[in-house]
Amino acid sequence: MAEKVIQEEKRVFMTGNEVVAWGALAANAEIMYGYPITPQNEIMHYWTRLAPKHGREFLQTEDELSAGFTTNGGVMAGRRAFTATAGPGNTLMQEPISMAEAMRLPTVTVIQQRGGPSTATVIYSQQEVTLTTLGGNGEGLRVVYSTANHQELFDYTIKAFNTAWKYRFPTFVLADGYQAKMRESLVMYDPAAKGIEMVPTEAFVGKEGTPGVDREPGHFRNTYNVEEELYDVLQGYFADYNKMAPQVAEYKEIASKESKVVVMAHGVVARAAKAAVEDLRTAGYDVGYFRPITLRPLAVPELREVANKAEKILVVESANGQLDRLLKEAIYGCSAEMLSLFKPGVGITAEEVEARVKEIV
Amino acid sequence: MEGYIGEYASGKSEVAVNRALDLLHQGHSEVTLVDLDIVEPCYTLRPIKNKLESMGLHVLAWETRQTIGLGETGNILRAENRWALRREGDIILDIGYGVEGAKTLNLLEGAKEEANLYVIVVVNIARPMTASVNDIVSYVNEMGTVYGLINNSHLGDDTNVEIIQDGARMVTEAARKLGLPVVATTVIRELMEDIGPYDCMGNPVRGLTRFMPSTLW
Repeated sequence: MAEKVIQEEKRVFMTGNEVVAWGALAANAEIMYGYPITPQNEIMHYWTRLAPKHGREFLQTEDELSAGFTTNGGVMAGRRAFTATAGPGNTLMQEPISMAEAMRLPTVTVIQQRGGPSTATVIYSQQEVTLTTLGGNGEGLRVVYSTANHQELFDYTIKAFNTAWKYRFPTFVLADGYQAKMRESLVMYDPAAKGIEMVPTEAFVGKEGTPGVDREPGHFRNTYNVEEELYDVLQGYFADYNKMAPQVAEYKEIASKESKVVVMAHGVVARAAKAAVEDLRTAGYDVGYFRPITLRPLAVPELREVANKAEKILVVESANGQLDRLLKEAIYGCSAEMLSLFKPGVGITAEEVEARVKEIV
Repeated sequence: MEGYIGEYASGKSEVAVNRALDLLHQGHSEVTLVDLDIVEPCYTLRPIKNKLESMGLHVLAWETRQTIGLGETGNILRAENRWALRREGDIILDIGYGVEGAKTLNLLEGAKEEANLYVIVVVNIARPMTASVNDIVSYVNEMGTVYGLINNSHLGDDTNVEIIQDGARMVTEAARKLGLPVVATTVIRELMEDIGPYDCMGNPVRGLTRFMPSTLW
């Protein structure tokens, strides 16, 4: 894989799904495992068109359970591997993702959220936040990046591989049907040209030498015999996760620590929230903006500071309070009043956010 | 009769819509625009069907309430569209997308025998799959019988004169290698004055009004 995928920095015009395929290619991902589902299909379509040209591989599995488990297997063999899914596929994938949590496998999963419950619409929502951050049987030992535009889809697809392989927690790029299908321009680059070094991959199994003689034997487990064994292992995982959290937590904000009302939103809805806040501030309103980029872990200290300074927090999302629940847990005991604009499965415009802010100021 | 084909998000639909409206404005009385996108139903003419009809076009396209799953459950060729070439007047086909999309023409009654059907490949060099002369040549070669190329190079809201003229140079060079004409360079109305009636390679310029940004899903 000596050749550079992107020779020089270039402005291009693409759909979000293509951006993910190119981002994975630029990140030197070696293999994608996948099963088709709207609205993530073109990630697979473009990966399968691009992969042969660049010596990469693809395996179409029989379902999302299998796509998740083969991604786990690819990672254990030391491959920079990823998968992508949406909606009901994300539901099925929680089982292999839980296994990845249990075995600390650096899988990368791209989620293009669609409407729910169940099959619902194939189009758009922000209703996979709970599932992606805390799904499966386990404790949510994952990193979830919520992107808002095509540049971020490219940047965070690359970053997801590095976060996963550095900290060894399953890592997600969480977008949605609108970002998947929307067309906008972005700058594609070779990560090395930006000083981004790809964290090297390493095989979990099949290493050289005799186990127990030349090296530590590999013993990778997702099953424990007694409760105390599991408890001890998890204590170590929690300590690692908590140590990692301040290093990976990301957010963007506008005057969030000096405004009476702070609008909080993530992903594509954050674009509307930001536009609304900028308009309102120009018109003299005392309003700020806070957008978590990592939904798991959240930037808890910064959120708590905002929630102790602001009088009101308005949470805006295309779900019935999935971001809101995460935020409330993070800022429990803080003084700000929590208000909402929830439109589950439906897009939200800057005008709607503005109108809601004017109601509550 | 013209059919517009090309890479996903190359601008086929935008070019087709504008071409149909141009013909109408030139005084052609019967202009029919046919949505033949059975590959990707997310950006299609469906959401702007009524608007285009109110402007005087005949539009053969699904309406949202007639569809389920938007591609998830498979797509079928609308019965009326299959017979579009039998209609009177100008027929503009919007065929999406790529090589598989181009095969949709095989489903159209009379397409093989029709000598007056001109299939035109829409190219945007900001699309990475058609970003070099060689990529464009091999892409067009996969498409079957093609009449000519259109340079529709742009960057959405970030479009400037440079990308359009770069596209003109690259598409003209590719067309020369393919032995095909460049039918036109398309330019959004806001930049038409900066480019003039011909691009830097002497290809005629067609003005574009953007309709597609309002058609997602």
